Amino acid sequence: MSPAMQSRGKKITAPDNLYTVILALALVAVLAAAGFVAYQCYTQYETIFKIQ
Amino acid sequence: MSTLTKVLIVLLTVASIFLCGIVVTYVASAENYKDKWQTLQSSERRARQQKDQITEEWNAEKAKMDEERTKLNGEIAALRDQIRGLNGQVADITRERDDARRRKENYETILADYNKTVERNTQLQRDAQKAEADLRAERTKLTQRIEDYIRALDVKSAIVMQLEAKLKGLTEEKAALQGKMDEFLRQYGKVTAQAVPAIAIREAARVAPPATDIDLKGLLAVVDLKNNIAELSIGAADGVEKNMRFHVTRDSKFICDVVVLDVEPDKALGWMELLQDTAQDKPRAGDAVSTNL
Repeated sequence: MSPAMQSRGKKITAPDNLYTVILALALVAVLAAAGFVAYQCYTQYETIFKIQ
Repeated sequence: MSTLTKVLIVLLTVASIFLCGIVVTYVASAENYKDKWQTLQSSERRARQQKDQITEEWNAEKAKMDEERTKLNGEIAALRDQIRGLNGQVADITRERDDARRRKENYETILADYNKTVERNTQLQRDAQKAEADLRAERTKLTQRIEDYIRALDVKSAIVMQLEAKLKGLTEEKAALQGKMDEFLRQYGKVTAQAVPAIAIREAARVAPPATDIDLKGLLAVVDLKNNIAELSIGAADGVEKNMRFHVTRDSKFICDVVVLDVEPDKALGWMELLQDTAQDKPRAGDAVSTNL
């Protein structure tokens, strides 16, 4: 089968790198939230996990 | 990569972003409980300090109040004693006031009686002054009459003296004649008999018993100039007694005296004395008689 035929007969799909980027974005968001929470805990209670 | 894996990646990413947004929003908006706790702790500490301070102040104020209370209780007791003393004084003053009111009423009564007595004495004084004026007028009148009597008495005294001189001469002449007659009769062995008057000798004056001041008044009812007898219009029923002397007057002029000889219940009979020589001064019926001039 020719390439034109192949392009006409297949659905348009995103490349897999896009999903990797999306997944990376999710990871960044999670890390940013965790860092923000840790920063807040340290600034307010001067510790991250210890309960006074 | 399968479709399911892709869907899961997308869902995982969306869910992660959503949950991270929620967590970040919650953490950002969460309260700082440590600061809040510290703030509350410092507030509690301050409150405790204030409580302790207030308690100390309260205890001090209480002690001060107790001291003031003790002091005021002492003052109250003193004031109560003073009130009792003042109540006693009020009772004494009330009694004195009542006594003063009673004395005032008594004095008012005495003053009213005194005023009545003064009015009565004033009336008596007026009456006495009026009586004194009447008595002075009467005294003036009597003084005038006494002067008249004195003048008449002087005249009568002169007449009496002349008659006494004449009587003395007649007595001496009688003695001389009696001596001659005794010598003449002695020659014939006789003596003269004692002379007895045929009628009563009319005396110029006779002392009568003093008349009491009974002030009897009447009239001459009948006059007998020949026998010097007069009848009075009053008798024993009016108080006339025997030997009582009445004065006969006419218009304030002395006429004669009448000495009572006999008394009947409604009339009296008397002897007239001190008759006047003039005809118009002879007593007649209707002349006034009285025991007092």
